[in-house]
Amino acid sequence: MAGILIVEDEKELREMLKLSFVKRKYSVLEAENGKDAIVHFRPSVTDLVVTDLIMPEEDGLKVIMKLKELKPSIKIIAISGGGKVGPASYLNLAKALGADATFSKPFSINELIQRVEELLKS
Amino acid sequence: MRFISKEKDIADQIINNSRSMISVINRDYIYEKVNSTFCNAHMVVNDSIVGKSLGEVWGKDTFENVIKQNIDKCFSGKIVRYEAFFNTPSLGSRYFEVVFRPVSFEGGKVTRLLAETFDIDDLKRSERTIIEKEEEFRKFETNLPVGFLRCDVNGKILHVNKPFLKIIGCKDEKLVLERNIRDFYSEDCIFEIQYIRLLENNTIAFGRVYLKNLEGTEIPCRISGFLALDGSGNPSYIDFAIEDSTRELMLENRLLQAQKLETIGALAGGIAHDFNNILATISGYAELLQDDLPQQTELSEKVSKIQGAVLKARSITNQILTFSRQVEQEKVPVNVSAVLKETIGFVKSALPSNIIIKSRIIKNGVSVYADPTQLFRVFLNLMTNAMQAMEDNGGSLSVTQAVVEGKCVKHDLNKGIVADEYVLLTFKDTGKGMDQSLKSRIFEPFFTTREVGKGTGLGLSVTHGIVAEMEGEILVSSKKGKGSVFYVYLPVSKEYADTSVDQSYKKRILLIKGNKYESSVLSMALENSGYELISVSDHGQLGRIMSDDKGRPDLLIYMSDSRQIEPKHLFEVVRQQKEKIPCILITEPNLDLLEEKLLTSGIIKQHLIKPVSLKEIRNAIQESLK
Repeated sequence: MAGILIVEDEKELREMLKLSFVKRKYSVLEAENGKDAIVHFRPSVTDLVVTDLIMPEEDGLKVIMKLKELKPSIKIIAISGGGKVGPASYLNLAKALGADATFSKPFSINELIQRVEELLKS
Repeated sequence: MRFISKEKDIADQIINNSRSMISVINRDYIYEKVNSTFCNAHMVVNDSIVGKSLGEVWGKDTFENVIKQNIDKCFSGKIVRYEAFFNTPSLGSRYFEVVFRPVSFEGGKVTRLLAETFDIDDLKRSERTIIEKEEEFRKFETNLPVGFLRCDVNGKILHVNKPFLKIIGCKDEKLVLERNIRDFYSEDCIFEIQYIRLLENNTIAFGRVYLKNLEGTEIPCRISGFLALDGSGNPSYIDFAIEDSTRELMLENRLLQAQKLETIGALAGGIAHDFNNILATISGYAELLQDDLPQQTELSEKVSKIQGAVLKARSITNQILTFSRQVEQEKVPVNVSAVLKETIGFVKSALPSNIIIKSRIIKNGVSVYADPTQLFRVFLNLMTNAMQAMEDNGGSLSVTQAVVEGKCVKHDLNKGIVADEYVLLTFKDTGKGMDQSLKSRIFEPFFTTREVGKGTGLGLSVTHGIVAEMEGEILVSSKKGKGSVFYVYLPVSKEYADTSVDQSYKKRILLIKGNKYESSVLSMALENSGYELISVSDHGQLGRIMSDDKGRPDLLIYMSDSRQIEPKHLFEVVRQQKEKIPCILITEPNLDLLEEKLLTSGIIKQHLIKPVSLKEIRNAIQESLK
């Protein structure tokens, strides 16, 4: 089964995401910030990443750039509670940097899962 | 005899040593006697003058025109004094004071007179200098943009200049001169305190002091005082320099407001971001729970309530993020008057009978760079606000749209400008109005004068955030009991609202309209974005258009409050399609049962919650058309 890496500093949210993915039989890896995600990234077992954007240590934008570099075929979904860098929102920047989908928090978990399935199929 | 002669010698000496020219003149206008000073001035010896007529000595014209009339007056018994400017051989041309006194009388008639001529040239010249200086000072004082007031130590006003009169809004100097400076201070003790301080230190800048004008309105002024002492060191009078600092204060306040809003924005934005994280967890678990529960049970109803609350909370965090400018706006050139007309049309449709709306668009077809749905929110919020201010007593709302030059805006706003021209929109109501303290807080989030539960107090904050994001400015002036005026400045875009997009790429969108106004703005926004819009009026037409291979839309947008087509009809029509057309659903934050059914039916590709920004709808369209 496909492997999903969840990068999220908010513990409860991370666990909720994990629970939903495990329920659908995905194998799940977790990281609580961007630095963790980059350092412990295992390309062979990770097919998709769900990453928050504003996090301590390295932020989600860095995660997207770095992981896309390490494994160009990886699918990335960025999630964020809002915020802007200059005139552009974090989510739009994430998209520009290669995120395949973006979701504003709070989002529908079923919609997110649906998107994960679509991305893993393609 | 010797005694007499001695006395005469002394008298002669005194007379000859006097600095004045002294002479005795008889009724025939002949000099009978002159002193040495007279002779020296004329550079002649005594004998050559005595016995000569005044006409011979001064010339016929001077005698006839000036001297004779004065001498005649003196012969009638009066002392005569006058000033004259004339030339003497040794002194040159100078100012003199001439005095004629009657001295000998015979039979009740004056027979001789004593003429004394004093050199007053130095005095006269310094007097003239003083007059000139005074004139110069008066000009300086009048032209100086600073008010000037002189009062005695009791505060009685002795002198004021024109700028001072302008500050206190008085045209007649007299109205001020009969008053005491205390009349112009908001409290009596201010003058006392200033006077005591001036006794310690002659010159003091008092800083900002409020002056009252004749109507009693307080005017912020910057005042400096100077205490003048007389020759013996006692306080003599006080000079005040007074500058009107109304504008300075206004700009200062505006800057403070802006800084305050920025601080609150940063704080609130941070909180909203954290809240969205928490809401994501809540909504996620609620959804997972909902999936596990059998539908339409009491438990699932309760979970639905949680989900509804999350959506409401999300709408609030979204508004806070808009206020704190943390939401990216998808900007396109927008025709301001078109959006304004739409908004006015909408507001009019639900207008209470005691309120009228007047609108005046001075220049049509002006573009600004904006998200049209956000611009609509700005106008709607301001108009709603005005109507709420007038709901008790009714009134009128005047909306004006004009174009002003950037440099004028620079002066009004006192900040850098980003365009040569600005659209200036004014929303003027005749409602309750606000006092200063209320006015300074209206843009703060959650600040509301309405009772708890009526409105979140985010409307004007959101408006402020949107305008700021457009690099515009929003100002307000208000008078309690009279009404308020909101001024919205938006930089004019050089690009024009344009819909010319390559037709071959134009996607067809079927918009099933709901609430009239929102649909109009949305369709305008979509057309501006280059989509081709089609609409239907009933479900029969919907069925026909969906089964027509050529006319079929690429995408369907359904606003859940549509009156033409009910959710079940939509569901039926879409389900019958062989090729699924992506469908976007737009609803209010709290979903009703039918909407929830529609959402879970599988035909909805994207779900958006009102208010929807152009950015959201565009993203949703792009996602759905993938």
